Amino acid sequence: MKALTANRLIDGDVVFWKAGKWVERFGDADLFDDPGAAEAAEGQAKSQPTVVIDPYLIDLMESDGLWAPLSYRERIRALGPTNHPSHGKQAEGGEVIEALLHADGAARSSGRVNLIKRK
Amino acid sequence: MYQYDAVDQEFVADRAREFREQVARRLSGELSEDQFKTLRLMNGLYLQLHAYMLRIAIPYGSLNARQMRRLAHIGRTYDRGYGHFTTRQNLQFHWIKLRDAPDILDQLAEVDMHAIQTSGNCIRNVTSDPYAGATAEELDDPRVWSEAIRQWSSLHPEFSFLPRKFKIAITAAPNDRTAAKVHDIGLMIRRGRDGQLGFEVIVGGGLGRTPYVGPTIAEFLPANRLFSYLEAILRVYNRHGRRDNIYKARIKILVAALGAEEFARQVAEEWAKIGPEGDLPDTELARIRGAFATTVFEALPATSEVFETAKAADPALARFARNNLRPHKKPGYTIVEVSLKTIGDTPGDATSDQMDVIADLAERYGQDDIRVTHEQNLVLPHVRLDDVPEVFAQLQATGLASANVNLISDIIACPGLDYCALANARAIPVAQQIAQTFADPDRAEAIGELKIKISGCINACGHHHVGHIGILGVDKKGEEFYQLTLGGSGAEDAAVGKMLGPALPYDKVAAAIDTLVEVYLRERHEGERFLDTYRRTGVEPFKEAVYADAH
Repeated sequence: MKALTANRLIDGDVVFWKAGKWVERFGDADLFDDPGAAEAAEGQAKSQPTVVIDPYLIDLMESDGLWAPLSYRERIRALGPTNHPSHGKQAEGGEVIEALLHADGAARSSGRVNLIKRK
Repeated sequence: MYQYDAVDQEFVADRAREFREQVARRLSGELSEDQFKTLRLMNGLYLQLHAYMLRIAIPYGSLNARQMRRLAHIGRTYDRGYGHFTTRQNLQFHWIKLRDAPDILDQLAEVDMHAIQTSGNCIRNVTSDPYAGATAEELDDPRVWSEAIRQWSSLHPEFSFLPRKFKIAITAAPNDRTAAKVHDIGLMIRRGRDGQLGFEVIVGGGLGRTPYVGPTIAEFLPANRLFSYLEAILRVYNRHGRRDNIYKARIKILVAALGAEEFARQVAEEWAKIGPEGDLPDTELARIRGAFATTVFEALPATSEVFETAKAADPALARFARNNLRPHKKPGYTIVEVSLKTIGDTPGDATSDQMDVIADLAERYGQDDIRVTHEQNLVLPHVRLDDVPEVFAQLQATGLASANVNLISDIIACPGLDYCALANARAIPVAQQIAQTFADPDRAEAIGELKIKISGCINACGHHHVGHIGILGVDKKGEEFYQLTLGGSGAEDAAVGKMLGPALPYDKVAAAIDTLVEVYLRERHEGERFLDTYRRTGVEPFKEAVYADAH
C-alpha cells in the first residue's frame, strides 16, 4: 500500500494526495494498492509545480488496524517533531495519529533516497 | 558594536526587495523550483521536513537588544514562539512559510539583519570568540577582524561561487572558544617577539564526512597582510577545488591531497602576485575598530559586596557563579553565560519570551550587548558583579538559569530527524535523555567539564567529531542507531574522536553515557577532566564497560 506526499510550495506544509487535490492530514490521504494508479497520481502531481515541491510515493504498513507510513522519517513528517508534541499535525490527535504513534516498522524512506540522489 | 552605515542599510533592504520579487516569480510559475532553490538558499531559506527553515545571520554571534527583540517578534508572529541558536552562532526558525519570508527579511533589514551568507557555496558568516571585547585573555578584539572579513566577503564576486561552502573562525585568546582548528580557515591572533600583531593561519580543518584538524600554513602572518593572504588561499582553492564531486569539494580535501607544505607554497606564490594592494587600508581598519571601542566601563572595586553577600545566602546563585560566570578584563565586571540547555528542553532553543528577557537584561545590565556561542548558549559579556544577583533572579524567572555551562548536560545537538531533511536519526531526544540522566547538579559538577556533541547525520552540524563524547545518528535499515566516539576536542587541543565500537540502538545511548562516566570517575586522577583521563587510559576501559553492559 502506498500514499503520495509532498511539501506545499507556499508554506512548506506536509501534504498528501486525495483525488487530484492536496490535504494536510495523512488520515485523509488516498491509499493506493494498485501500483499503476499510484504512479499515475505521482505523474499528475508532478505537473503541479506551483502547488507542491517534490511529490513522491511512500510505503505504508498496518498499525492498530489502520495504515501508517513504513519509514520513521515519513511518520515524523506526518506527525510533527518528537520534541514538541504540540507542534505539527500530531497536536490534533485522533485514531490515525495514535496509529502512527504506535507504528514500529522500519525502512529507509524512498523520498529521502530520491532527495539524496537529486543533491 | 558595529553600526550599519547608509550603504549597508540600502544593500540589505535592496536584497529583501529583490527576494520579494523572486518569491512572486516562483509562485506564479515563472521560476521553476530548481531555478528558485539557489535564490532562496542565498537568503538562508531551506525546505525541511515540516516547513521552510530560515537561517538568520548573526555575524560573529554578536547582536544588540533591539535585534534580539526583533528575532523574538519574528518567532512569535511567523513561527511558533521560539527560535533555535546554532553551532555557527546563527538563529534558525523552523516553521516558516514561503509567503511570509519576504516580510521577515524586511523586518530583519529594519534592524540591520539578514540571512545572507548562511547557505550556499560562499564565505559563510564568520564566527568568533563570544567573549570578544570582554575577556582579559585576548590579544586584540577579534570582532574587528571578523567585521572586516564580513564586509570584504559579502559581495566579493570572486568568492560567491566557490567549489563548496567556506567557513572562517577567528580567535584572539589562547583558550579557543571558536573551534578554529576545524574550520576551512582558522585564524588565531598572535603577538610577535617585536610586539607586532599577526595571525597563525590554519587551513583545511573540517568536520562532516571527512574530519580533519587543520594544519598551520603560516605561523605568523603580519596582521596588516591578512586580506591579501586570505585572497591567495581562496584563489588556490577556487582554481583546484574539486567541483566534480560534492564529497571532495571542501578545501580540507585539497589541502590533504596536496599536502600542507605544497598548499602553502602555492598560496605564497599567489600571495606574491597579489601584493600589498590586496590588503585593507589602515584607515578602513581604524574606522571599523572605532565602532567597537564605544563600550565604557566604570571604575569598580574588583570584589562586589552585594554579589558576595547574595552568593553566600543563596546556594543556587553560588552554583550559577561557579559554572556560568567568567572573568572580565575590567575589575567589578563579569561575563555571564546563559545556558540554553535547561534539563529536558531542546538544546539551543529559546522562546520569544525568553529572547525578550535577554534583550531587557542586556539593555539594563549588559551594555546592550548579547553574544551567541557555537555551543548554542548566549552570553551577556559585560555585567557588573553588583548586578549579577538581579540578572540571575530574572534568568531564573524565565527558566534560563541552568548552572551547567561546560558540564555534561551542556550538550550540542543539531535539529536532527525531528526537523532536518538530511538527517538519519534524531539528535534532540537523545540529548534530552542524557541531560535527564545527569539532572542532579551535584553529580554534574562532580563530573566536571565534559562536552557531549550529537549529530543526526554525517554532515556533523552537531560537531560530534570534536565532542569529548561524540554521538552520531545513523540509519540501519530504517532504524535509528548511534555511533559513539571518544576523545574529540574542538578547543585549542583539537582532536577528532575515535569510534568506541558498534553503534547502539536509540534506547541504549543514555545508559552507555552513564557507563562511560562511571569508568571515568573510577579511573580519573586528581584534576583530570574526562578528556584527560581518556587520553591517559586510551579507549579500552571505556569500551570494555559499555559493551559488557550491552551484552
